[in-house]
Amino acid sequence: MESLIISQMAVSGALMGLVYALIAYGFQLTFSTSKSINFGQGELVMLSAFFSLTLLDWGVPYWLMVPGGLLFGVFLGLAVERAGVRLALEQKSEGWILLTIIIGLLGFSAAENIWGRDDRPFPTPISADALQFFGVNVTPLEISVAIGVFALMGLIELFKRKTLLGKAFEAVSADRDAAELMGISATRTVMLSYGLSGLVAAMAGILVSPITTVGPTMASALILKAFSVAVVAGLDSGFGVVVIGIFLGALESLTSFYLGSGWREAPGLILLILALAVRPNGVFGKATIRKV
Amino acid sequence: MKKTLIGLLFLGMLATSVSAADTIKIAITGPFTGGSAPMGASMRDGAKLAIAEINAAGGISVADKKMQFEVIERDDEAKNDRGALIAQELASMNDLSGVIGSVNTGVVLAGDKHFQEKGVTKIITPAAGSASMTQWSKAGVPDLSIFRFAAHDGIQSEMVVEEAIKRNLTKVAIMYDSTNYGVSGRDDMLEQIKKQGNKLEVVASEKFNIGDKDMTAQLLKAKSAGAQAVLIWGIGPELAAFANGMAKMEMKTPLIGGWPLSMSNFIDNAGKNGNGTLMPQTFIEEPITPKAKSFIESYHKTYSVPRIASPVSAAQGYDAVYIFAAAVKQAQSRDTRKIKEALEDLRDPVEGVITTWKKPFSKWDPANEQTHEAFRREQVVMGMVQDGRVVFGNDSDRQRLIKNAIK
Repeated sequence: MESLIISQMAVSGALMGLVYALIAYGFQLTFSTSKSINFGQGELVMLSAFFSLTLLDWGVPYWLMVPGGLLFGVFLGLAVERAGVRLALEQKSEGWILLTIIIGLLGFSAAENIWGRDDRPFPTPISADALQFFGVNVTPLEISVAIGVFALMGLIELFKRKTLLGKAFEAVSADRDAAELMGISATRTVMLSYGLSGLVAAMAGILVSPITTVGPTMASALILKAFSVAVVAGLDSGFGVVVIGIFLGALESLTSFYLGSGWREAPGLILLILALAVRPNGVFGKATIRKV
Repeated sequence: MKKTLIGLLFLGMLATSVSAADTIKIAITGPFTGGSAPMGASMRDGAKLAIAEINAAGGISVADKKMQFEVIERDDEAKNDRGALIAQELASMNDLSGVIGSVNTGVVLAGDKHFQEKGVTKIITPAAGSASMTQWSKAGVPDLSIFRFAAHDGIQSEMVVEEAIKRNLTKVAIMYDSTNYGVSGRDDMLEQIKKQGNKLEVVASEKFNIGDKDMTAQLLKAKSAGAQAVLIWGIGPELAAFANGMAKMEMKTPLIGGWPLSMSNFIDNAGKNGNGTLMPQTFIEEPITPKAKSFIESYHKTYSVPRIASPVSAAQGYDAVYIFAAAVKQAQSRDTRKIKEALEDLRDPVEGVITTWKKPFSKWDPANEQTHEAFRREQVVMGMVQDGRVVFGNDSDRQRLIKNAIK
């Protein structure tokens, strides 16, 4: 019984952890090309989820809503880049920190005014009835989250490695100046990374909403954990965020079982402090030497 | 020029006060947006329905004059600071006859002192925890202008424990949210278990936070300890997370708890997983009596909804207005202090949609806050969630109410 409980808790937590990983991946995408991240990423998750819910309310079928929601995410990502990041980067200033936070706050107020403050259910055709694997209960809904996360991350990684545009992405990540000398437009690549990051946020919103319900504050807890995952894993390792995400999710639910649910948030924070103290570049991060 | 302007302004003020001379000003406050909105908005709509009925019938005759109700609405957004501000504003109005409203205990604790200070009569409905009245008995105020028109937590926890015992259960898990409301709910339930003969063993007692979405840890503890029922004290969305988690863990044990389990944000978010959930109710949206039938129908029609978001709140708001109106009529005055005195000694029974109220309140006694509480055990029934609505949990309650209505 005891081992069964541990595995149930670990599995439930790990599936949630995959969502942290997906959002953390969104941080990584923009950080790798521009060394900037969108601090309003959580609002992108929330706004895309609300937009997708509105599509469903209009009678758009679920499987058509998904690309619609994702496109909206891309659009939001591009808007953040244009309004909050590009000018700051051109001037080599850190203004993007404040600007992305402000854009996030704007998005939050907009959502409150357009959709209201209530948490709303997000209908899905995927069943929430439990299935049993070796005594552990998992719902198809949770499995769909895992599949969605892996599929999207896999596709983006494949894109980065196999296509010309993707290689340009990698080149800018590796060395922006050298890439520009080779004729790659860094500005466009940064745009691309923000678009992809918006796409990832929208996917996270669509995947997680049926489980958590949709509301203006739905992503505030998620985003903090995703940020921990991104920092602990290192801001340049796609594989790392998955491992750390799963680990953190499982650790959280085991903590809340053994120490009480009030301690749920503790492991993430301790992990973050440890990582910053012991491995500032992240567990899976590469220590880079910057030549001056 | 300046003088004429001031003169005009003065005239304007006079004019409004003249037109207001024949109205009874009543304020309706509560959370009309946010997580507690189903309760606040349903209460407001129920109260306004009663006011519209009274006004359409010509109003109330006070001192040979027919007077109409005039409503002032304020949304406290379930925020304590907003609640305090609104209370201050309302208490400073000289011609306000009374206030009806409030859902959140914190809002009541922050705001009601302003009403009490100025002696403004307030009927708390549809909710607010025990502390909203015990604060006055603890302070030992000799005279109180605050009344409560809601099934208090004591009755509710009594019924929750009673229900578990009635089902011959012996092991229960208690879940509560980490707010004042949840913690005092847990204490009430533990006390009731003791009071009702220690027939229930609490095998797990677990806390959760507002905003938590995953309750697997708490439920696994309950399940592994062999709990036969989950007794729960919390508010809408988190309760739904429990119902959904129980379905996932294949826990078929009943979920029993306080009346927020009847809120639409529980029922909608839990979907079919909410079926069978039990909670105390003061009103069930079933047209079992002619009075209930006409109330439900006109609510649906007036607000174009197929169901009331929180039937309990709507019915309490409706009845509270009729009780208030009866007090105005008896006092023959719109003076808030005279209305208070009439409320403490209502001579004629008031026919409401919940029941026929006979002397709901009595003279305030600081040693016994029941004097300003309207609800007793017999006005509360057990409700059960069934396919998106709340129905009677026990048929005996239903039969009893039908019989009472005929009498």
